[in-house]
Amino acid sequence: MAKSFEEALASGEFVVTSSIDPPKGTDLEGLLQLVQRQKDVVDAVGISDNHNAVMCMSPWAVCRVALEQGVEPIMHVACRDRNRLALQSDLLAVASLGIKNILCVSGDHVKFGDHVDAKPVHDIDSVHLLEAAKALAQGKDMAGNPLHGSPEFFLGATANPEADPIEPHLIKVDKKIKAGASFLVTHPVFNIENLKRFTEHTRQSNIKVLAGVRLLIPEEVPKYRDGSYPGLFVPEALLEQTEAADMEKCTEVAGNTVKEIKASNLCDGVYLTAPGHEDKIPDILKAGGI
Amino acid sequence: MIVAKRKPFNEIKDLVSGSKKILILGCGTCVAVCLAGGEKEVAVLASQLKMALALENRDVEIDKLTIERQCDREFIEEINSKVAVDDYDLILSTACGAGVQLSSDVFDHKVVVPALNTTFIGVAEGPGIWSERCRSCSDCVLAETGGICPVTICAKGLVNGPCGGTRKGKCEVDPEKECAWTLIYNRLEKLGRVDKMEQTLPPKRWNVQQHPAIIIHEAYRRRYE
Repeated sequence: MAKSFEEALASGEFVVTSSIDPPKGTDLEGLLQLVQRQKDVVDAVGISDNHNAVMCMSPWAVCRVALEQGVEPIMHVACRDRNRLALQSDLLAVASLGIKNILCVSGDHVKFGDHVDAKPVHDIDSVHLLEAAKALAQGKDMAGNPLHGSPEFFLGATANPEADPIEPHLIKVDKKIKAGASFLVTHPVFNIENLKRFTEHTRQSNIKVLAGVRLLIPEEVPKYRDGSYPGLFVPEALLEQTEAADMEKCTEVAGNTVKEIKASNLCDGVYLTAPGHEDKIPDILKAGGI
Repeated sequence: MIVAKRKPFNEIKDLVSGSKKILILGCGTCVAVCLAGGEKEVAVLASQLKMALALENRDVEIDKLTIERQCDREFIEEINSKVAVDDYDLILSTACGAGVQLSSDVFDHKVVVPALNTTFIGVAEGPGIWSERCRSCSDCVLAETGGICPVTICAKGLVNGPCGGTRKGKCEVDPEKECAWTLIYNRLEKLGRVDKMEQTLPPKRWNVQQHPAIIIHEAYRRRYE
């Protein structure tokens, strides 16, 4: 039997994960194809929660679909859209659906999404959400009330090795680890030196780190330049290279990043994102020698 | 202080539409300091309205009066000794939202409408520039954060550190603005108190911020019991 995501990380092998954004609408046809296409090449698939504050189907439904297709999901849970009651009740609900891997995130600001007038909730932050999920797993809610039946979670958090300045960010990462994170998924990394600096810090905690790798495509270059993708800092030289590249070249560049990260032995695996081009993920992995 | 901005002129013009005699009621405290609703701004607004309504051949009488504060009942009640409030069919208040409401309470037989949008509690950074500093959350964390409020200054109100979008110390939401947590880190480092940031602050206790909030000073409690 194939290893679970948690088992794969524990085994010390290089873990490969990817990301799929839920559909905007009820049509699951494209999603099913993507899940099937990634089924045999990744250890788990991350399912985003209103990524970039764009309203989409709730990730729990997509995670359930992925499970039914034989793919283990990592469900993102964003603090932006729900208060502590809703977050906790959703966590209980997803546990009942067999979803175990939870990635706790703050969530991109609503400014970047398609409902810019929405109220950003942020009743609790990602550190609190990790604490809450851990407490639920121990049979208590945030208010200390006992649960009738408690969930099992494998908890993760996000980090950005390229945050500038990095020092306050690393302090927060430590809080996330202390709060219950067992693995970190990083923002896409474009400078391996930043990843090296980051993992030198996280190595002290023995936490598992999945380095983010993102497919860069020419159409998105202006958005990287104008800051439309929060937390993604692509060097200008790489943007210029991307502008002149076709999809084959873009895939090769992302594949080379995977290869470089794997060869560096800095991380426990990768987390691939290719918004709108998730069908290219198997090709990226192939180009990356996986 | 409370900082406010004047509403767009056309919105104000619509608010007073249909009135024949208007009192523009200014406030001489916070909104005067932030150049939004004091005596000078009332005079400018009165002139603008008179001209605009005259151009539309509308016969409207506009008077103006600025009092010390509209958030204090005794100052509002003094208006009666200065003008005949009953003669007006609308009071256009240039106070903050609190002042507009208290004026409306005192003159509850009159239509009182706001000329300003109340924006934030803040400080003067220099001539003509104010910045938000407090969300009046009733659960102050400034002792832990180097005197810089993450609830107010972080775009997401995060209390345990920055999100992943900090770039060159700026906020991902607006690169013109400082990242609150970079400011906090730098301040704590300067104070030799970075360890403060290592403590996890608990979730905000929103229940201590009751709406509408009322505070009765202990010395006055018996009076209101």
